[in-house]
Amino acid sequence: MANVRNRPKNLNLFTIRLPINAVVSILHRMSGMLLFLLIPALIWALQTSLSSESSFDKLGAMFRHWTLKLLLIGFSWPFFHHLYAGLRHLGQDVHWMTTLNKARFSSRVVLVLGACSMLMFAYYIW
Amino acid sequence: MLIELLTKKYPGMRLWLTQRLSAVAMVIYLILMLLTLAIRQPRNYETWLGLMSPWWWRVLTLVFFASLFVHAWLGVRDVFKDYVFNLRLRAVLQIVVDVLLIGYLCWISIILWKL
Repeated sequence: MANVRNRPKNLNLFTIRLPINAVVSILHRMSGMLLFLLIPALIWALQTSLSSESSFDKLGAMFRHWTLKLLLIGFSWPFFHHLYAGLRHLGQDVHWMTTLNKARFSSRVVLVLGACSMLMFAYYIW
Repeated sequence: MLIELLTKKYPGMRLWLTQRLSAVAMVIYLILMLLTLAIRQPRNYETWLGLMSPWWWRVLTLVFFASLFVHAWLGVRDVFKDYVFNLRLRAVLQIVVDVLLIGYLCWISIILWKL
């Protein structure tokens, strides 16, 4: 019993190096939670864009302002990451790319695609 | 085998499948939305309203949001189960999320109904 109690513990998160699959996984979770928090903003924007011509124009003017553009670009990354990491999970559910090396490769693909998509989105709306 | 897994004996499998199906539904809607935006290119209120208001598109939009809420409900539930260890606090948080999502569903239904 004493031995069990004296076992060394390492709960210092800064000394634990997460493998890339785990990085993609935890980011999938965090981006999911963030997207959940953004749901009311999405519904509000849809409502404002549809309710009248003047509110549509006001929303358009809002989205042309650089602060909101920056915010949109910032929030586009969690969206793209969640989308690509989710598609990766769906692939794994049907046993596609499930060996360790292939899973590492698809993790890298998810991260690169997420970054590229955000950059393309930024270029498109600016 | 799959049918066996989806019976009442394994309720978790149903939730697992619901999570996946709602994800696929959202991806399909997003692709349709992207195609519509690319083809019709709404530049003002009239064209945007014209794009959103056909009854079948409103139905698809409602399906998208319903999928989103179910997907979010399952996802947030898993996160709470993993990180909130106090059962009473978890129950309270879960009720808050449930009420929010039901409220969102009512909100979006009214928006789409009034179009």
